[in-house]
Amino acid sequence: MSYTLRGRLESRLAALLPPLLAAVALASVLGTWWPVELAGVMVAALLALDLAYHPLLPYQPGWTALPLGLVEFGAVMGAVLALGIGAPLDIALALFAAGWLSAQVLGHGLLPVWRLSYAEDGGELGRAGLLVLGAVAVPFAVAGAIWWSNLPPVVHLPAGIIRGPLVVDRREHLVGSEGSVVLGGIVVRHSDVTIRNVRVVGGENGITVDGYRNVTLDRVSVRGATLDGIHVRNTAITIRGCAVDMRGARFGQGIDISFGAGYGESLVQGCRIVGGQQGILFDASNGMLRDNHVERTTLRAISMDEMSMGGIEDNTVSRANGVGIYCNDHSMCMVSGNSVTQTRADSAGGNRTRAGYGLVVDYEAEAELGENDFARNPARVGIFLGAQIARLEE
Amino acid sequence: MRVAIVGGGLAGFVGYLTLVRGGVEPDAITVFSPELDPAAAWRRRAAAIRQTHMRSESDGHCLPTSFPGLAVREAARRRSLRPLVQSVCDRYHPTVGDFLEHVEAVGASSGWSERIAQTRVERVHAVRDGFELDGNGPFSHVLLATGHPGHALPAELRDDPRAVHSYEPHSYGESVCVVGAGLAAATEWLNALDAGANVTSVRRREPVRRPLNVPRPYLSKRGLRSFRRLEPAVRAALLRELLAPSYPAGTAWDAPLERARKEGRFRVEPSVNGADQVICATGFLRGYEHDRLLARLVADHGLATADGWIVLDPDATVPALTDRRRTLAVCGAAGQYAYPAADTLAGARFAGHAFLRRCRTR
Repeated sequence: MSYTLRGRLESRLAALLPPLLAAVALASVLGTWWPVELAGVMVAALLALDLAYHPLLPYQPGWTALPLGLVEFGAVMGAVLALGIGAPLDIALALFAAGWLSAQVLGHGLLPVWRLSYAEDGGELGRAGLLVLGAVAVPFAVAGAIWWSNLPPVVHLPAGIIRGPLVVDRREHLVGSEGSVVLGGIVVRHSDVTIRNVRVVGGENGITVDGYRNVTLDRVSVRGATLDGIHVRNTAITIRGCAVDMRGARFGQGIDISFGAGYGESLVQGCRIVGGQQGILFDASNGMLRDNHVERTTLRAISMDEMSMGGIEDNTVSRANGVGIYCNDHSMCMVSGNSVTQTRADSAGGNRTRAGYGLVVDYEAEAELGENDFARNPARVGIFLGAQIARLEE
Repeated sequence: MRVAIVGGGLAGFVGYLTLVRGGVEPDAITVFSPELDPAAAWRRRAAAIRQTHMRSESDGHCLPTSFPGLAVREAARRRSLRPLVQSVCDRYHPTVGDFLEHVEAVGASSGWSERIAQTRVERVHAVRDGFELDGNGPFSHVLLATGHPGHALPAELRDDPRAVHSYEPHSYGESVCVVGAGLAAATEWLNALDAGANVTSVRRREPVRRPLNVPRPYLSKRGLRSFRRLEPAVRAALLRELLAPSYPAGTAWDAPLERARKEGRFRVEPSVNGADQVICATGFLRGYEHDRLLARLVADHGLATADGWIVLDPDATVPALTDRRRTLAVCGAAGQYAYPAADTLAGARFAGHAFLRRCRTR
């Protein structure tokens, strides 16, 4: 068949209708979004490939369905993985196979019988092509509408001082504006909450999240908290671009994420933390600490403790007291791309682990080390009490 | 509504089957043809060149839809997937016998012979709401399927007693000169070699090697869009280029020729030599002026032409004689201005589909 571009796209959309309907049915039965997301990725990837094929294939023999099918499967699965769509492989394979089979049956059999001029029209479906386009678009439009209508409400904080503690007890996006400051902290008491561009001053903890899921803190700043800057318990959280100033807080941590194992992976990325006992503490939690800057902590700058597991990547630490990065107590840490400088020795009391190490791996912990810069410290790497280090396989 | 098909060859036959498939009552269709057998002319030509397999592939059949083609039917008959695999690889070529059997079967089941008015139409005359065909009619919609206007013979060989056209019955002499470079010529090279002759190929140009008569994109809108945008003269020039003699590539053709060349039994020369026999595999006369009906049609109605072709709209209709109420369409070789492969079965289907749209909506 020598497809026109329109014919190629219309024939493809017609072939994708059965798997799309199956995906919609599956999503309805399971009450989950991934089948629709998977179908959406299939439609987008295959249409994109059709655009790429068009100039390359002035004529497409029937046998090319097999090699092109393999390329298309690879592209769809690559997109699914890249976008992190949680579709089970067997169902993804089944939907793709249904689309492929449908393309063969329709293109070689049904469409030429139904539309006499299908071959000479280069695969175009005439007015039915618009119906097919509509039939493909409707499920996505409906899904988009449902998604849109379920978006949490956006609450804009006005400029000025808001006396707290501010309790967020529903799904919402809390967005600060220029000059808005929350005094006394924020307590999150609901899942699906995003807090963006909010400045918090004071409070026992600057921001508290305990047990609620799908919380994101985006570009928040915390200053003057008496305990922790950001205090997270029993959940996984995403924190990006935060600024936490813990100078003057004797016992608090900049960010303390504890007991989060089993709730998924947390992410702390692009944050700047000054002061406090520990800048970022992962305790019994999983996740990634990346691209953060931590300085002038009194105990350790970055800690993974108590069977935590995760990556400590591309962070910069300076002027920490005693220990820069700490991997302790059966934790498994991947430490790579970090720069730790000017750590001060704190072993006057006899604690050898606090001799100003760039990295300490302690008490049965295992650390895999990539390229790190620990040179400009009194000591580089300390390994204690049955801990192990290994070279990180990049 | 009355519909007429002028010409009962394969193109007319496909047109008829398409109309019936599209819901036009068979009683409303009249086919003007001196012969009852739609494959009669084709059968004679295939027999003359001893053709065994079709050049066309699975969809080289007379039915109105490209699917199911002859490969599917053969697979079902033989209970074998081989024809289907060959078909998806563009390697399936039905035998001439299978094709003719298919024509007979479809002809018998479609009521074709009952629709035939056994006469040759000499003149098409446009009237207010249609066309009169030698006084018959009027017919609202007419499909002209006049076929090839005759065999082309090089002028210098017209009076040569050794010369025979490849499409006329013939045997082979001891030394044979084959003029031409298309599928018929290639078939004749192999036939004559098989018959033990020494063969000389005379050609004005090296043959084009391609699977079908025209490049495949010209079978669909993909290639046709740019073709149809061309000015008439440019389009006619491209058409001549596209219709240059060609035959498929492959060892089935090349190996016997190479073997014969090594044995000194096959050679290429620029002009006819002193061979016992000259076979003119030079195809058909080209141009409406060689067909009496078309020549009169152009003259009577002052139709636009381009280098021997009647200028047609993309749906193969004659623009000056087609309007809201009536249709005059052309299929077969005379329709190549609209569809370069019009003289193939796929081309007949194309014209049939377009004609059906006109009949169904008017």
